[in-house]
Amino acid sequence: MNVEGEYIFNGPQQAVYDMFNDPNALATAVPGMQKMVQVDETHYEGAIFLRIGPISAAFEGVLSLSDINPPESCTLNIEGKGKAGFAKGVGRVKFTDLGNNQTKLNYSGEVNIGGTLASVGQRMIDSVAKSMIKSGCEKLQKTLEERCQQK
Amino acid sequence: MTGKYFGQPVLRLEDKHLLTGRAKFCDDIVIPGMLHAAFLRSDYAHAIIKNIDVTEARKHPGVVAVYTAEDMGDYWKIGPLQVPPPFAIKDAQFNARPLPPIAKDKVRFSGEPIAIVIAESRYIAEDACEDIIFDAEPLPAVIDLEKAWEDTSVLVHDDLPSNMAALVKQEAGDYEAAKKQADVVVSKRFVADHVAGAAMENRGFVVNWDERTQEMTVWAGTQAPLPLRSAIAGRMGLVENQVRVITPYIGGGFGPKVMTSQADDVLLPWISMKLNRPIKWIEDRRENFLATTSERDQVHHCEMALKKDGTILGFKDVFYHNTGAYDPYGMTVPLNTQTHTVSNYRVPNFYTEIRMVFTNEMVVTPVRGAGRSEGVFVMERMMDLAAKELKMDPVEIRLKNLLKKEEFPLNTGVIGQDFVVGVLDSGDYKNNLEKCIQMVDYEKFRKEIQPKARKEGKHLGIGVVAFTEGTAVGPYEGARVTVGNNGKVSVSTGYSTQGQGHFTVFAQIVAEQLNVKVEDVRVITGDTGHFHWGAGTFASRGATIAGSAIHAAAVLVREKIFATAAKFLEVPEDQVDLCEGSACVKGHPEKFISLGDLAGKANPMRGAVEADVKPGLEATAYYAPPHGATGSGACAMIVDVDPETFKVKIERFVLVHDCGTVINPLLLEGQIQGGVSMGIGNAFYEKMVYDENGQLMTASFMDYLMPQATDMPRKMEIGHNVHPSPLNTLGLKGVGEAGALPPSPAFCQAVEDALYEYELDLTESNLNPSMLYEFRNKAIKR
Repeated sequence: MNVEGEYIFNGPQQAVYDMFNDPNALATAVPGMQKMVQVDETHYEGAIFLRIGPISAAFEGVLSLSDINPPESCTLNIEGKGKAGFAKGVGRVKFTDLGNNQTKLNYSGEVNIGGTLASVGQRMIDSVAKSMIKSGCEKLQKTLEERCQQK
Repeated sequence: MTGKYFGQPVLRLEDKHLLTGRAKFCDDIVIPGMLHAAFLRSDYAHAIIKNIDVTEARKHPGVVAVYTAEDMGDYWKIGPLQVPPPFAIKDAQFNARPLPPIAKDKVRFSGEPIAIVIAESRYIAEDACEDIIFDAEPLPAVIDLEKAWEDTSVLVHDDLPSNMAALVKQEAGDYEAAKKQADVVVSKRFVADHVAGAAMENRGFVVNWDERTQEMTVWAGTQAPLPLRSAIAGRMGLVENQVRVITPYIGGGFGPKVMTSQADDVLLPWISMKLNRPIKWIEDRRENFLATTSERDQVHHCEMALKKDGTILGFKDVFYHNTGAYDPYGMTVPLNTQTHTVSNYRVPNFYTEIRMVFTNEMVVTPVRGAGRSEGVFVMERMMDLAAKELKMDPVEIRLKNLLKKEEFPLNTGVIGQDFVVGVLDSGDYKNNLEKCIQMVDYEKFRKEIQPKARKEGKHLGIGVVAFTEGTAVGPYEGARVTVGNNGKVSVSTGYSTQGQGHFTVFAQIVAEQLNVKVEDVRVITGDTGHFHWGAGTFASRGATIAGSAIHAAAVLVREKIFATAAKFLEVPEDQVDLCEGSACVKGHPEKFISLGDLAGKANPMRGAVEADVKPGLEATAYYAPPHGATGSGACAMIVDVDPETFKVKIERFVLVHDCGTVINPLLLEGQIQGGVSMGIGNAFYEKMVYDENGQLMTASFMDYLMPQATDMPRKMEIGHNVHPSPLNTLGLKGVGEAGALPPSPAFCQAVEDALYEYELDLTESNLNPSMLYEFRNKAIKR
């Protein structure tokens, strides 16, 4: 499965980038995310509860960052496993300063899924992923606004 | 040879049980103290097993036991092969990799069982599966058949040098020489896609080991009760009469239930004995999609050499056949394909080559059609291609090459699934097609209906194809017919039934011989406690092979009735007649003895009888054919295609069939209709899709589209040709798979004809609207 898209944040590039590297911000933004713990500089461990059509199950996994190029881009690698299958994916995110206090997020990546997630969930997973990214970004936007106001 | 009962449209005797909910199925079996099993299956298609931690699962309340391959010790053994390799074919190469009962060291397809949980209920067993921690190192999956064949491919079985499961070549005449003589040579690559058996009822297995009687009883939804019985006895170190396999009513077989070496078959008897408890396992739909067996999935490279008048000089077919991760069922499917490409037309020179490959997909074994569908598909598509090239009408080129009545019997030179050279026993293949085009009124469609429709902007198309169905192969079946003391007759056969109507047609055969009412004949199929010889239900062989054995036994009983009645009626044997339910004196129906009383007399309880006595009115007989009997037919389809949405409506569907003598025209029509709905499903609805990682994307009916009644043509117009087979007394040939064979090629031809503005070239057997859209986009506009 391939995911691709963009989202425009109202905030400066560095602030957006920082937020993406903050496990607490990510943990609250991703729907169903139950925990997100930083293990080292570039590794996080997390747990998430997903509902995809007829499947609802917990997944545990590792998120790692590579090709780190602040505040412009980085690559996210995820590997998760749960009772309803497994997922392994790579996502490249890019932050472009649009000026006017706006930052564009471009993301593209591919995810391989297996188990029930693939055999039963695949028809729904595209739209679930899109909606999760959308609501995640909206949540992050709110966090971003709060952070900018605090400053 | 229609008689009082034989050949009559007798209503199905079994339906009163089935339709009123009184039939007993596997899941209806309940035994006190019964435990329930659930399998943990691999999510990975290809991976090295690192660790399977069952500690938590074993602690789960209600769990009685959890087993992995490690826990099975010496009982864990691979195989055996259910069907031997085709070594009757010269230079055949075959790498036997039968099923392991449960994965050890490595998993080779997504859905492969890795652990089994036994618990007080299925709910608990399923929950405990989730407590098992399965640690594996994923490997790249082998999915593409042609790439899998290459030396550079990842290996499914590391101990083999390649993914070659088998290589079998068969040749007759000299194709290359014929090609040199040809005016035209056409070639094409075809894909015959993957489909499920999708029976209404999934597999089921209930086993009870009785420690005190030292006997094991198994209720299984199987097509092969006797092979299953023998396999279980062999594995458990028991003698055959310690194991009784009973097949209750089964909601459809369609092929996959012929397996006797799957995880449930192997593990449950062992566990039942170990725990000394009855165990039930009922397969769920997802398990069935992922891990039972499925079929088709071939890639063909075909070539045909012809004279310019359309006469076939030669045919060449090199094809890849996906056997999945293992090959427990030998080469039945691809051998059937090989047989069916060249069993319909006069093909003097041919070369066919099977390249059977291992992949990281579920195991491939026969599904209704069983390789024949693919053979018919590619040959019929090649005929269409040749017709286009030669600017001939598709019907004309077929009529020119179809075998005629006087050409039978015809030795095909191809060794088939029964390991003997095929002989087409009888028929008139050309006349099937002639009759078919008459019924569909081909001329009128071409000259009036189609031009008029095109003027109105409608896209009507017609497809006309021919097919053969190799049926009724050996080795043998047997039956015992007994007249009871109440005058009713019992028939036992080792053959098992999955809804075909055996209880009715077998009763008709016996009723005709013994002049008893059909409903007074009680048929028992597939209970090894009642009859313990036989091979199983496959290759459309029930009516012909078991039916012929039943007929032979009934004839013997009839003779015994005459001999015994002559004594008691005190008349010569030739003066005895059969009145309904009794033996009487010819011309004196008032002088009679009822069959029940006669049965009692044939089994005296005191006194002296002859030394070679065979008590009762009973006989056992067997039937074994020298080779299979071949049915044949032709099919025409008129479709209406919406060129915007690619919705296809089947306006007319005509099928002419020849299965030799007809036992019951009503059931015959039902068999054909069922087959056709499967064929139409394959043509435009059903498709199993694996992604490049070996994940099955169609493991539920949400994604695997089954055709519904509303997708069927409003009427199936069925015509019959009757050319009795010389191979058996009754002149029978099988029909179980016939209807499933022609729809795909007829559909392709009709859709190409309908979308006449484009040079459409449909090379896949399993289409859907979006694929038609893709094909249309690739096609050149005329």
